[in-house]
Amino acid sequence: MAALLTIVGMASATYATRLAGYLLLRKRKLGPRARAVMEAAPGCVLISVIAPHFVSPHPEELIALGITLVAAWRLPMLFTVAIAVASLAGLRLLL
Amino acid sequence: MTHPYARSEILRGARDALPVMFAVAPYAMVLGAQASQVGLSLVEVGAMTGLNFAGGSEFAAIKLWAAVPPMLTIVLITLLINSRHIVMGAALAPYLQHLPKRKVIPALFFMADEGWAISYADTLRRSSVQQQTAFSWPYYWGACLPFYPVWVGFALIGAAIGPALGNIEAYGFAMAFPAVFIVLLRGMWKGPRLACSWLISLLVAILVYLTVPGAWFVFAGVIAGMLFTYLRAMES
Repeated sequence: MAALLTIVGMASATYATRLAGYLLLRKRKLGPRARAVMEAAPGCVLISVIAPHFVSPHPEELIALGITLVAAWRLPMLFTVAIAVASLAGLRLLL
Repeated sequence: MTHPYARSEILRGARDALPVMFAVAPYAMVLGAQASQVGLSLVEVGAMTGLNFAGGSEFAAIKLWAAVPPMLTIVLITLLINSRHIVMGAALAPYLQHLPKRKVIPALFFMADEGWAISYADTLRRSSVQQQTAFSWPYYWGACLPFYPVWVGFALIGAAIGPALGNIEAYGFAMAFPAVFIVLLRGMWKGPRLACSWLISLLVAILVYLTVPGAWFVFAGVIAGMLFTYLRAMES
């Protein structure tokens, strides 16, 4: 029972975060400054989520991240993901 | 019932989402396996992934799980980790103004990082070639919805086979997520000015990750990048 209540609590909190930004800005006309902030914000979210990978204590993960960054420069999603996974798996075998 | 244009847009979204499934599916299996190890039943794993549908917060909840889970702590941490959704929804909001609220509200339930980023990057691409409606509603559904059955389904598989899974993290899947996010970032690239804000986010997120325990680093990184952009926009 406590488990399901916790899950429902989590789900409500999460859905609220999904609705909040839309409900707050739905009718607003943004000024140039707010527009600049909202233009940068999506990238800020993505880079912050993966930040821990840039300071991984395992050298093989840092090397694999470097390889992934190079691959992502030109290659499409599927190839980049494949190279990322294969390079980490390979480096773990080697190191 | 579905308009041929809508169908082709749904498929276009799903096609762009497909390669990302190779990152999401193993991650969901790891979550399921960890959840069953700390005592969640299959029903509970299904309920958590199906009702909450936000991976990062689910991993955090599993780490804190106990016979009587600390409900308030878990809910507050979920709120903190998922506060980034507020920014994600806000970024999408200007493109959703032509849609009725009753259609958008259920659609936002399925707004997870990957589907949102795919759809947002597509919106930027279309607005740069001056399409009348930059945001494609059916594309959003095609890009977001497939993650739902994959996330819930593979978490259940992970929970069911549990220990038989072995250490899936040893295979290199840990790299799949940063790879996905980096490619998605490239899709949002608009020159070095924007990248400056991202760099500030990265540096602050790293600093907070290394010094403050818990899940504050995403929150701090996002706020820092936005604040930096705001202050710079004031100068010019």
